Amino acid sequence: MLLSYNWIKNYVDLPDSLTPEELGLKLTMSTVEVEGVEKQGKDLENIVVGIVKKVEKHPDADKLQLCRVYDGTEDWQVVCGGSNVVKNMKVALGRIGAKVKWHGEGDLIELTKAKIRGVESFGMICASSEIGLGDMFPLEGEKEILDLSSIEAKAGTTIAKALELDDVVYDIDNKSMTHRPDLWGHYGMSREVAALYNKKLVSYNPPAIKPGKEFKIKVDIKDTKLCPRYMAVAIDGIKVEPSPDWLQKKLLAVGLNPINNIVDITNYILFDLGQPMHAFDAAHLKGKKNKEKGVNILARRAEVGEKFVTLDEKEHDLTNEDLVIATEEKAVALAGVMGGLNSEIKNDTTTIVFESANFDALNTRRTATRLGIRTDSSSRFEKSLDANNCELALKRAVELTLELCPNAKVVSSVADESNFSLNQGPIELSLEFINKKIGVELEKKQVVKILESLGFDVKDKKDILFVTVPTWRATKDISIAEDLVEEVARIYGYGNIETVLPTFSITPPERNELKTLENKIKDILSLEFGFNEVYNYSFISPKWIEIAGLDEDSLIELDNPVAKDRPYLRRSLWPNMLENVEKNLHEFDSVKIFEVGQVFDKNNPGVRAADNSDELLPRQDLMLGLAFASKGVGKPFYEVSSAISGILDNFNCDYELKAKSEMEGEFIHPGRTAEVIVNGEVVGAVGEIHPVTLYKIGIDERTAVVEISLNKLIEQVAEKNNYKKLSVYPAVERDVAFLVDKKVTNTEISEKLKNVDELVKGIELFDVYDPSADAQGKIPEGKKSMAYHITYRSDEKTLESKEIDKIHEKLTKVLVDDFDVEIR
Amino acid sequence: MQETLDKIKKEFIKGLDEVKEVLQLEELEQKFFSRKSGEMTEAMKSLKKLSGDAKAEFGKLANEVKKELEDLYGKKKNELEKNKMGDLADSESIDVTQPNLPKKENGSLHPETLVLREMEEVSRNMGFIVEDGPELDSDYFSFEALNIPDSHPARDSQDTFYIKGHPNWCMRPHVSNMQVRMIQKYGTPLRVAYPGRTFRNEATDASHDHTFYQFEALVIDKDINVGNLIGIIKELLSGLYKKDVEVRLRPGYFPFVEPGFEMDMKCLICEGQGCGACGHSGWVETLGCGLVHPKVLEAAGLDPKEWSGLAFGMGLTRLAMQKYRIEDIRHLQSGDLRFLKQF
Repeated sequence: MLLSYNWIKNYVDLPDSLTPEELGLKLTMSTVEVEGVEKQGKDLENIVVGIVKKVEKHPDADKLQLCRVYDGTEDWQVVCGGSNVVKNMKVALGRIGAKVKWHGEGDLIELTKAKIRGVESFGMICASSEIGLGDMFPLEGEKEILDLSSIEAKAGTTIAKALELDDVVYDIDNKSMTHRPDLWGHYGMSREVAALYNKKLVSYNPPAIKPGKEFKIKVDIKDTKLCPRYMAVAIDGIKVEPSPDWLQKKLLAVGLNPINNIVDITNYILFDLGQPMHAFDAAHLKGKKNKEKGVNILARRAEVGEKFVTLDEKEHDLTNEDLVIATEEKAVALAGVMGGLNSEIKNDTTTIVFESANFDALNTRRTATRLGIRTDSSSRFEKSLDANNCELALKRAVELTLELCPNAKVVSSVADESNFSLNQGPIELSLEFINKKIGVELEKKQVVKILESLGFDVKDKKDILFVTVPTWRATKDISIAEDLVEEVARIYGYGNIETVLPTFSITPPERNELKTLENKIKDILSLEFGFNEVYNYSFISPKWIEIAGLDEDSLIELDNPVAKDRPYLRRSLWPNMLENVEKNLHEFDSVKIFEVGQVFDKNNPGVRAADNSDELLPRQDLMLGLAFASKGVGKPFYEVSSAISGILDNFNCDYELKAKSEMEGEFIHPGRTAEVIVNGEVVGAVGEIHPVTLYKIGIDERTAVVEISLNKLIEQVAEKNNYKKLSVYPAVERDVAFLVDKKVTNTEISEKLKNVDELVKGIELFDVYDPSADAQGKIPEGKKSMAYHITYRSDEKTLESKEIDKIHEKLTKVLVDDFDVEIR
Repeated sequence: MQETLDKIKKEFIKGLDEVKEVLQLEELEQKFFSRKSGEMTEAMKSLKKLSGDAKAEFGKLANEVKKELEDLYGKKKNELEKNKMGDLADSESIDVTQPNLPKKENGSLHPETLVLREMEEVSRNMGFIVEDGPELDSDYFSFEALNIPDSHPARDSQDTFYIKGHPNWCMRPHVSNMQVRMIQKYGTPLRVAYPGRTFRNEATDASHDHTFYQFEALVIDKDINVGNLIGIIKELLSGLYKKDVEVRLRPGYFPFVEPGFEMDMKCLICEGQGCGACGHSGWVETLGCGLVHPKVLEAAGLDPKEWSGLAFGMGLTRLAMQKYRIEDIRHLQSGDLRFLKQF
């Protein structure tokens, strides 16, 4: 919202020593956020009132004129393209050094002496849009210069002075006052300013309306919840014409374009009291049924499918949730949002009906939002306005109308249907409570003074203050003692509160093991294994349902996705990670990424949804995902599986990878996938993506992924503590190499060999010969070659060669008997 | 005997002088000290034939000579070895600027992870539990328990993502959904921080994204006041920026605190003088904070007459962008390694 300094000065007598910037800062620190302070006319230096003394044709250009312009001291030759320039016209003369916008567009440019088509020009005769006055003087023709002949200022007067552009305009962040319905007009803001500077606020006291009898207004509120109050009055003898300068200037200052006196009055009240009003042309309110002079106004819910055209000439389909203002025949306004085209004030309007009403905040917002028409009116009603303001606004509007239209006369009584109540307290407040909450030692009289300056009524009874909330703060803003603490503290000044650290116990905080695990894993992956961490959105595209054969019903769907292409919540990290792989392979030969993030599992229950309900939210595990693809790496599986081993080796746990050929969906390579089993529990899976799936995604390299639930893993792992005393006896290593059926796994063999004899202390696979790479064909079909280091050691003595030979023989036999190997 | 020893000594020294390389030295060693037929070995052996005083006398002498010769031999050997390595600088020189090949690719952590860790560390050091919770939560914990009524704009689908088929589930629009959950989980008194991922239904551009990270912290204790609020936040910010910071409070409105504030920090770049980074105001809008609203305490089952609290929250994503001068928020969730590998 824009706020005018001069407007505030109408209500508060501010000291001359106060600068507008100081006031802006004070407001920011105590009331609302001021985002900008703009001085009117600050870019109008060197632009003065000039009088055109002579106009001649430019010798070399048909559309240009040569003018002699008097600037109060001397005449200047200026080349001008304005179509309306004539002798004796008062114009805005931009002298050398003035800043203008060429044709009203782009940045400000400083004028210099110029030669235009061979003729020297000392300045420029400006159009309104070229000097930022387009709102005040709308252009009527394209090449029209600003005609100032009607103003009184002498030649040489600066434009800012001539037009009395001496206001300062504050840009207030609307978000900072959503909870303050009273601040949406200058009077409410002035009340704050008066309190902040300890000044008196001018009272707002328009005279009572003298009712007439010629015109009957009947108001019938069908839904009192949506319309707690409706006031209306009719005025005849209206002459619609432009508003006087003072009114236009006020509106322009706050960014509104003047339209005509009646509309301007409603807009003025909007920005003065924060009360939206509407003016109807009475002639268009009357229906055929209504023979006598008068109108029946209804505030009713719209019919389902009812069509309504607003002032901006847009047609809307209404629902039963929308409130309309209507005659018996037709709707004439969308309550609190915008008037109807069918009853707008036109130049020939002679009788008007003013509406000053109060509408429900939530309903107004919902209608405005659904129909996409946020107006100054709806944005105020949605803050919960004080219904008491309707009357003040109506009185002031009538007062102004009678002032602006000398022949106008109130011709109806004041209709006032109301049904509202406010909780004004009183709120009980103790001085001790205030001081304890703020952390200061205020005196009671200080507290009382602050509250009273803001319009609260304070009664002091036995050390308890009974504080009555003024109506304009009672709609939703202030209801409990804590609210009053804020009022006192901010006027007292937050800067005056001393900083105090509380005394706390020194007990160290409980450790979050999941966070610790997450951080450790991230370190291992990034530092040891060279993985890069990615963050992806929690949303995935429906294309994955087709690409990966996922079950649509297993995914949670957003009701209102930001983009239609990502409506589902991720159940796994890999879909978005595969997109990362695809994109990055265009730039890099190798992509090695990991992500840790929550996923959403529709089919398993998680934590409780609310205190008073048994409903459970979907399970949301913290997942670790890895993805790897590299040009020329045919079995990326091992790169990620070794990273997983690298992680798990850091903890006290038993783990294994167990081949698994079937998984939900069709995206996994059936021969290169395994479950990750820790202490017997499945915590995740590692596998390559099915070549067909890779093809569908557009990834040319074999790609492996991992997904492990950290919530499941944390249940299994403990801090590593498996140190074994160093043996004093030497270990002996023997190797064994053999051909074995391709299907036999490393785990099967290792598990077996481990138990051959207690002297077997270590089994380490050090070579596997890939039969597919066996060029010489030494390895028979269906076989593979494996080689192990076997470590033998006794804890009691130094083993002799013979003893080792015996056990090694036993071990070899086991291999032959159990796995049908061919020792090499 | 004496003669024999003198002779051996003389010959050995002479031989040593003639030695030019290790091989010759080894030959010399064989000649004199070989176990089977070395001249010195033989001389030592012949001692056995002697007896009495002579044996003792010559034994001592022989040992002295042997020791002397061995020392000379050692010296010569060192000398030769040293000479041999003399041109290492040349013969074995390498290009020290060359990396180990094939080059090992470094991994990286996401910039938001880096900032998050700093926040976590500072919070933990100040005695805060650090925790995260559900990103998909009920409107009860996201709004209702936080004193955000049905009529509040934040509850519109224009601002919050809702879940199809579950009108009371949403993607949390702030991490404040953790306030009541944490009080219920840990009880009082409590110091807890909960950074996490949040969602707002809004169009994306260089400075807005529908997914971003927030940091929030909550203190529940007896007699918490506004002065404490400023004190704690100042400490935390000082820890984060590793220098003393100056802050100021101004009014701010959040339904779950009362009173509520915006906190600005004096611009660290210009130290309050005004510069481009702080919009020439000297202050940077840093966080929202306030004393916990009694209704939130009640929702968590606490008596607001007995317990009080403070809460403050800030945008982690914005913090990361400020710290690393990241110009476009969309880089963060792009998965683009050209971006990620820089951290």
